[in-house]
Amino acid sequence: MRVWPARWSRQWRSSASMALAAVALILVLWLCALPLSLLPEPIGSNADSFADGVRTTVALTLLAGSAGLIIGIAAAVAKLSRWLPLRWCAALYIWVIRGTPLLIQILFTFFALPVIAPSLQMSDFASASVALAFNVGAYNAEVIRGGLLAVPRGQLEAALSLGLSRLQTFLYVTFPQAFKIALPPLVNNVVALLKDSSLAYSVGVLELTNVGNRIQAATFQPVPILIATAAIYLLLTTVMTQFSDAVERRFDVEGHQA
Amino acid sequence: MKSAAPPPVPLIVVDRVNKRFGAHHVLRDVSTAFAAGQVTVILGASGSGKSTLLRIINRLEQQDSGDVVVDGIEIRAGQADTRRLHALRSEIGMVFQQFNLFPHLTVLDNITLAPRRVRGTRREQAQREARELLARVGLTEHAHKHPFALSGGQQQRVAIARALAMQPRVLLFDEPTSALDPEMVKEVLDVMKELARSGMTMIVVTHEIAFAREVGDRILFLEQGQILQDALPEDFFARQQDPRIRAFLGQVAR
Repeated sequence: MRVWPARWSRQWRSSASMALAAVALILVLWLCALPLSLLPEPIGSNADSFADGVRTTVALTLLAGSAGLIIGIAAAVAKLSRWLPLRWCAALYIWVIRGTPLLIQILFTFFALPVIAPSLQMSDFASASVALAFNVGAYNAEVIRGGLLAVPRGQLEAALSLGLSRLQTFLYVTFPQAFKIALPPLVNNVVALLKDSSLAYSVGVLELTNVGNRIQAATFQPVPILIATAAIYLLLTTVMTQFSDAVERRFDVEGHQA
Repeated sequence: MKSAAPPPVPLIVVDRVNKRFGAHHVLRDVSTAFAAGQVTVILGASGSGKSTLLRIINRLEQQDSGDVVVDGIEIRAGQADTRRLHALRSEIGMVFQQFNLFPHLTVLDNITLAPRRVRGTRREQAQREARELLARVGLTEHAHKHPFALSGGQQQRVAIARALAMQPRVLLFDEPTSALDPEMVKEVLDVMKELARSGMTMIVVTHEIAFAREVGDRILFLEQGQILQDALPEDFFARQQDPRIRAFLGQVAR
């Protein structure tokens, strides 16, 4: 895809793509009621509800996605730690999360946690965000761990031989290379997260799927409503992959994808 | 045969160092010393413990027993004082067979990373010094390239500049030309010769016999984890008595 002038460097072009995708996402968020309202019934009259649902879905994804990235990094580092109890904790977390349905995790966080510890009573939105963040965090952890293991040992030795501390070696040498390796599967996880956020519907969050389902139930017109709902998801995931493609090109100093 | 004169001011002292990898006894009671300003070339068949000795000096490997003292910084076997360890490593530069440049950083950032993060040198000053080092290894115009865009010989010269940027007391070379295409060996050896002439303390593991003969102040020959001979180059190459070493020299000269 050639959108930008050829004389721009690849770094410039990918930065511009990132900015454009971010702007596109914001426009979709704030203006999607407009084009939707132009569509025929029953979508046009419900455009504002759809727009609210889109904003909630994107907010869930961004919130859980960024928290999940931090959780993933922490769990990956813990799983590679030299300290055995830490390795166990990380392994236990990843094992439980990946081995149980996300729907159960969302229901558990909302209904069961407050029973166990009343201070953990949260709003439906906050509760769903937490469950989604810990869920995607477990998948991110394995991806990031794979990236860390893929960095050649010589890189670590070179950094240590220069006198860098372990933390500095991680921050400036190992992690940037691991992140680049892990980026495509991380994006997969976030795209999956965007779609999985529809399960927040089960605890009453008014996100896109919930909105669509309610309108469909009220109007008895499942075909246009569910097609519109799916189309909006498709639009969101497309914008998201455009953004991540640009990030990948930004990191691609070797020019594999010039 | 006379052996090399004992070094006057030992910069590095290796005292009865042992190292095993499983059942394999890689270094057996190795004791030696390296003087400041001296170029020591370590020769020996593969598996004789050359690289392991080098890697124990800057603690990329940990010895099972014995002491290594570098410039007064002593680290015993089993000791894990991380601050002393980093102090030790920043005094010792290392050049690897596989270069090990950081692929995600430009040449300039490869060189300035450690001075900035370890020494706290300001960015502008670190870059100015890096450019001087690049000029010294003949790569001024490549400062903003990434390692993948350079030839093997150029990458190894950047790796030498990167090690020099920490102003180490000693430079270790672990088979620096073994991974290079033949036409690139000379450019790296030329840089190393220039370094030797400037008085840099160097310990070089290599199979480049001509380099050892021309630049070395002293030859250590390792066999099966022990120092079989410690000699001046002229004695080592011209008046070699030991049949095993003669056989080795015949092999590598071919």
